[in-house]
Amino acid sequence: MSHLNHEEPIIEAQDVAKSFRTQAGTVELFRNLKLSIQPGESLAIIGRSGAGKSTLLSLLAGLDTPTEGHILFGGQSLAQLDDAARAALRLEQISFIFQSFHLLPELDALDNVRLPLEIQGRRDADNQARHWLKQVGLGARMDHYPAQLSGGEQQRVAIARAFATEPKVLFADEPTGNLDDETGHQIIEQLFRLNADAGTTLILITHDIDLAGRCQRRLHLHNGRLEEMSP
Amino acid sequence: MSLLTRLAGRQLLTQLRTTEWRALLLASWIAIALTTLLAVLGDRLERGLLRESAALLGADLVLNSSRPIPADRLAGLPLADIEQTPVIQFPSMVGQGDNLMLVSVRVLQSPYPLRGELVTEPPGSGIPAPGEVWIEPRVMTQLQLTPGEQLEFGYQPLKVTRELLASPDRGSGFRSFSPHILVNAADLDASGVLAPGSRANYRLLFAGPPEVIHALEQTLRPTLASHERLHALSTDQPLTGNALGNALGYLKLSALIALLLSAMTIVLALRRFSLGQHTRSALLLNLGLRPNQLVRVYLYQLLLAWLLTAVAGALTGYLLEWAVYHWLADLLPQALPPAHWLRWLSGAALGLALLVLLGLPPILQLARIPVAHLLRGDTPPRDRTALLLQGVSLLLLAATLLAFLEAPLAAMGLLVFLLLGGTLFGWVAQAGLQLLARPLARRLLLGRLLTMRLRQQRRWHQLQAAVVVMLLTLLSVVWVSRSDLIEQWQAQFPSDTPNYFLINIQPWQKADVDHFFAEQQLETELYPMIRGRMTQLNGEPIRPQLTAEQQDHNTLRRELNLSWHAERPTHNPLVAGDWWQPGDTGAISIEQSMADELGLKLGDRLGFDVGGILVEGEIRNIREVVWTSFRPNFYIIFNPEALQDAPSTWITSFYLTPEQRTLTRDLLQQFPSLTLIDIDQLLNQLSGWLQRLGDSSALILALSLGCGLMLLGVTLLQALEQRRFESALLQTLGVTAEQARRLDLLEFLLLGLVCGLLASAGAEGVLAMLHQWLLKIPPRLHLELWLSLPLLAALVFVLIGGLIRRPLRLDQCYRLLRAG
Repeated sequence: MSHLNHEEPIIEAQDVAKSFRTQAGTVELFRNLKLSIQPGESLAIIGRSGAGKSTLLSLLAGLDTPTEGHILFGGQSLAQLDDAARAALRLEQISFIFQSFHLLPELDALDNVRLPLEIQGRRDADNQARHWLKQVGLGARMDHYPAQLSGGEQQRVAIARAFATEPKVLFADEPTGNLDDETGHQIIEQLFRLNADAGTTLILITHDIDLAGRCQRRLHLHNGRLEEMSP
Repeated sequence: MSLLTRLAGRQLLTQLRTTEWRALLLASWIAIALTTLLAVLGDRLERGLLRESAALLGADLVLNSSRPIPADRLAGLPLADIEQTPVIQFPSMVGQGDNLMLVSVRVLQSPYPLRGELVTEPPGSGIPAPGEVWIEPRVMTQLQLTPGEQLEFGYQPLKVTRELLASPDRGSGFRSFSPHILVNAADLDASGVLAPGSRANYRLLFAGPPEVIHALEQTLRPTLASHERLHALSTDQPLTGNALGNALGYLKLSALIALLLSAMTIVLALRRFSLGQHTRSALLLNLGLRPNQLVRVYLYQLLLAWLLTAVAGALTGYLLEWAVYHWLADLLPQALPPAHWLRWLSGAALGLALLVLLGLPPILQLARIPVAHLLRGDTPPRDRTALLLQGVSLLLLAATLLAFLEAPLAAMGLLVFLLLGGTLFGWVAQAGLQLLARPLARRLLLGRLLTMRLRQQRRWHQLQAAVVVMLLTLLSVVWVSRSDLIEQWQAQFPSDTPNYFLINIQPWQKADVDHFFAEQQLETELYPMIRGRMTQLNGEPIRPQLTAEQQDHNTLRRELNLSWHAERPTHNPLVAGDWWQPGDTGAISIEQSMADELGLKLGDRLGFDVGGILVEGEIRNIREVVWTSFRPNFYIIFNPEALQDAPSTWITSFYLTPEQRTLTRDLLQQFPSLTLIDIDQLLNQLSGWLQRLGDSSALILALSLGCGLMLLGVTLLQALEQRRFESALLQTLGVTAEQARRLDLLEFLLLGLVCGLLASAGAEGVLAMLHQWLLKIPPRLHLELWLSLPLLAALVFVLIGGLIRRPLRLDQCYRLLRAG
């Protein structure tokens, strides 16, 4: 994987367009979309339901390909990478946090966090996983299964899992969407604290203006255009 | 343990709690157990009784003849280094006191056998000494003999010295299944049981170095006469026309149904499983697992499942085989050798093929799931490759199944029959259901919802009905016919239908036998029997004048039993022509079906080779013959002058009341060379076989029913989400949980009733056809089916449906609806 140069953006979208074919005809989600994200930056993408936030996130993470334009990750065009190379990129440099946590139900908290580390073949998988679970305040509940944890606790396991692989970029899709306000607030605090400590680039998707306010940059996706919002 | 196996193990453990995986495991368990049972039992039967091996032939080469083999038969043949021994085998009545039974006698000379060994109790070598007899356990039991006692063998009492437990050279066909006794050739003449012209099988057994035997076979084969057969090891073919082989084939075919149902259960269970694995697969891919690693995780999971079911299935197969073998043991002529060890693995191997071939397509599809599914719920596209893969997998599986069953054509036929029958039943059931629901729709509060539900679920209803109706139909047919058919077939005969055949009556005994029957006031008529081969039609060789199908006719493939008679047999009415007058010569009476099938008509001249002499006659009349009348019946009857000088034996049949049965003893004491065939005993033996065969196939069909019930459960699962969603919607709209439950149960009840009625109709149809065509007796209605099947089917649907549908609380309803 190419070494990241801190002068150049870690993710760059160049004139990206995305459209879908439906029975009713072609639907264009966005066109000529430009975006540049610097390493270590935190950035929120906000917009109404159906505006295309999740699609934009999958494009930036290399999970989907644009109809037109290019996405560069660390200066390299994702279009030039094959499936295996993109999977390797995700494995080594990207993590996700989802609205519905997505933990494996048959693994306890420790094993859930350990799983991506083991896939990477890390020898210190166990120590790393324990460390990150302590970081999110679940040191005493490592042997609990997802079904034995509350929603907030499950999301904290997911956060520990996301940080454990020490990614360059962390994508979070409505991370508090399934949580009550207070728990959501605690989760966000933790997310930003860990992010600041690790120096990870954070790309957050939300429709919560307050949450977006915690990020250094906020972008509004509206009518197929991405507008920078003033701080 | 590697990460992937650990993941697979954990997945399997979690999945074991789901209905679809339990169904999958049970289905492959049954499939493996059943396959193991049939493979092992089949192998044992083939090795013990059905395949021409040296140990079974008792020699390397056997010359078989229906006539005594003349001393000069082997003149000029390459016999150096070859060991040989003659054997005569024939049916005879033997007895002790008032007990008589029909056995197959083998008359031996040393050395015997040339290959394989005689297993006796007490153990020993050689053959029975003169004055001694070795008898099989069945003879021992039926005649209540113990070693050391005397067995009456014609005029010659023989001392029972050993029990014969197993022996090669049993002969082929029905005689190999009769109880056997072995006697020394030195006792044959004194016994008087085998007169010239009596029916017997004469064999010469040969053994020697392979190349010498091969040379002998090559020289002998072109010289075979029409009454001779040569059995060589090199052919290694299953003995043809063997009832046991057919029975085994029949059992394997009935297993096809269970295997198909298992396969369908596995397909549907995996379908539901894989639909629920999209998010998980996407997540694992997102966490960095490569697609090929993901495929391995799921494959390992399948392999672990296979390992579980292979062990359980092989063990169950072993127990079933043990039970069935002991069940059949007293009907089998001798103990069977153990199966080849590889056969024990064939069930597990078929299970592996089932799971991998059916599992691979959905697993490969899972590996193609986009990670974006986690964000947007995308599902993988079903492209051509996936469809192609599924098609190839199903073809491979079909080929594997057909190869296992070893009767591809019959299996294909059954497959087509099941598919067509299933489609028809499914369609009719679904239409019947709509019809039944229509009046309910107007009367019941939930009626409209019910018709909506029936329309919505019709695809699954068709499949469920097809499976349940076909299974219940087959099961009822087997169940009813196992006792019913023979009883009804026997019941159609008048009570004085002959129950004994008497054969091998020599011409010089005829007057005395007639006298014996007259004395006992038994009405019988003796018919002469002359062996002859049909060779000519209208003065020309017959074969070239016939079609290929006609050339294969039963009457042309073997020597016929010809007869001559002055009067028309009273039980043979004429359908064309007139019976001859005294003094008419060169006249023939022919049986109706033979005339029809060979296209012979009045006035045609037929020529027969009778002991090397051509005997000709003109067809003067055509007779109707009821072959099941248990009277002497012939295809061809000549006028007396034509054949009365030819060498013949005589045959008759007669009826004895149970009180008169001791007469058979007097008869055989007076004429020891006569062979008496007890028809009741034979029919009992036959019905015993049919009953065990019916029971065995009922056992297999019961296992199939188990598979069918699992399939039913899995099909109900497929639409479970839809049902739950609909239930949730109805409940939030004001329907009570109880009403929602009633709606479900009403649907299952109606479906069950319709399936039961259809199965009753189906079973009646098949039984009626069996009655009409096989037994030729008028069909009767089985009211018990019409009552029990609808009730049974309704119960099955309501129970399984009730188990699978889970009630929803109102808060669950809301959550379900919110989740979409």
